[in-house]
Amino acid sequence: MTEQPTGGRERDRWGFAAAMVVAGVLLFSVVMGLIVLPVLQAPNAGIDPWTAICRAVGLKAGSPAQPQPPVSATAAPVSQVRWTPATLKILAAADPRPGAALAQAVCSACHGEAGLSPSTDFPHLSGQSGAAIYKQLSDFRSGARFNAQMTPVAKKLTDEQLAQIAAYYGSFSRRAAALGPRYGIGDAAISRLANRGDPARALPPCESCHARGVGGPPEAPVLSGQQREYLYRQLRAFAGGQRGNDVYRRMRDVSSHLSDDEMHRLAEFYQGLS
Amino acid sequence: MSEADERAIVRSEIRWAVVAIAAVSVIMLAVIFAAIAMHINPPSNVERINPQDLHLSAEFTEANLGTKVEANGQITARIVATQFAFVPRCVVLPADRPVTLRFSSPDVIHGLLVSGTNVNTMVVPGYVSQVHTVLRKTGDLLMPCHEYCGLGHSEMSGTIRVVPSAQFRPGPDGRVACAAK
Repeated sequence: MTEQPTGGRERDRWGFAAAMVVAGVLLFSVVMGLIVLPVLQAPNAGIDPWTAICRAVGLKAGSPAQPQPPVSATAAPVSQVRWTPATLKILAAADPRPGAALAQAVCSACHGEAGLSPSTDFPHLSGQSGAAIYKQLSDFRSGARFNAQMTPVAKKLTDEQLAQIAAYYGSFSRRAAALGPRYGIGDAAISRLANRGDPARALPPCESCHARGVGGPPEAPVLSGQQREYLYRQLRAFAGGQRGNDVYRRMRDVSSHLSDDEMHRLAEFYQGLS
Repeated sequence: MSEADERAIVRSEIRWAVVAIAAVSVIMLAVIFAAIAMHINPPSNVERINPQDLHLSAEFTEANLGTKVEANGQITARIVATQFAFVPRCVVLPADRPVTLRFSSPDVIHGLLVSGTNVNTMVVPGYVSQVHTVLRKTGDLLMPCHEYCGLGHSEMSGTIRVVPSAQFRPGPDGRVACAAK
């Protein structure tokens, strides 16, 4: 295409107009974002307009937006367990073989051979998540959870031994484990509560934390296959305040919104058909 | 290509440019309106906290959560967003007085808004989200989690109970909690 003089002028005109539009947008943005909005919003953050402009431009640090008075509270943690990379590494590296020997010597008298408890007084353990066993044993040891039989047992074990026992009970194959997916019983209302929750009471589904690999808190134990007596006792203990080693009230909160009948039926539901 | 064709193309391009500029302008005006008239602004607080130790920290230990009137009269509500609840579930705050809300998460990213107010922030593990506001409406305001946080996300919501300033009576330790309804 041959260049025509009028075409060149046309392009110049367009170029000038485009540059003006870009410059206008830039100017508007600078005035609006760095001056008008900071000045108008300064009272919200309790600062004067000049400080607000300096913060918007980046000459002054934006944080803290308002200095906070020092916290007078003292920490009163309900559990000392921290899910740090170090803890996760101990759990991942734990050898289940010494764990098996320890379990045989220490745990099996109550929790049964291969973690299948013969009595309703003691929960099944095989198939349980390693993180859950580690958390509870640590809490028994630190006193965050108390049980006349478990507390002295846990106090005698080292951190590594706890992890080995956790690894042993977690290492069972699905077929051999006492805990694991079960065919639910035909209780439609409770099945809905366990799988869908109850938005009206802001109750999340049990399964959102307790199903394997759902991405909830690491310490959430496997429930399906557990003895209904044990599950019911724990729900009651959480609701009644006898047990409180659940970080940030997760279970105390949920259980306080359940009726006694629902606790019974949930325990029944999770025990399932064995 | 004929000159008529070229002009037709230019006209069409200009029409679409006008539509695009108008759409962007409307959105920007809405943002500016919200910023000025509704006092909605992005939270600017950058404050770090270790999420693994949140339950061991002094500030976000369980007993220190909820509303507290500090020694200097400042009203602060500390709330932990965790899977799948706000702790505490219900927080009392007075109307027409400046209040500070401080949030943190020990697990995953959460978010929240308090319906009908300018409180709207994400709660990112590792940081403290801090919001200042003055609540104008009294009553129970819904505070849902608005950042997908897991399978129980849809059941995760809390309540901000705004009471008239005269009915806001902190205890001797400066704390106020929701009475069971």
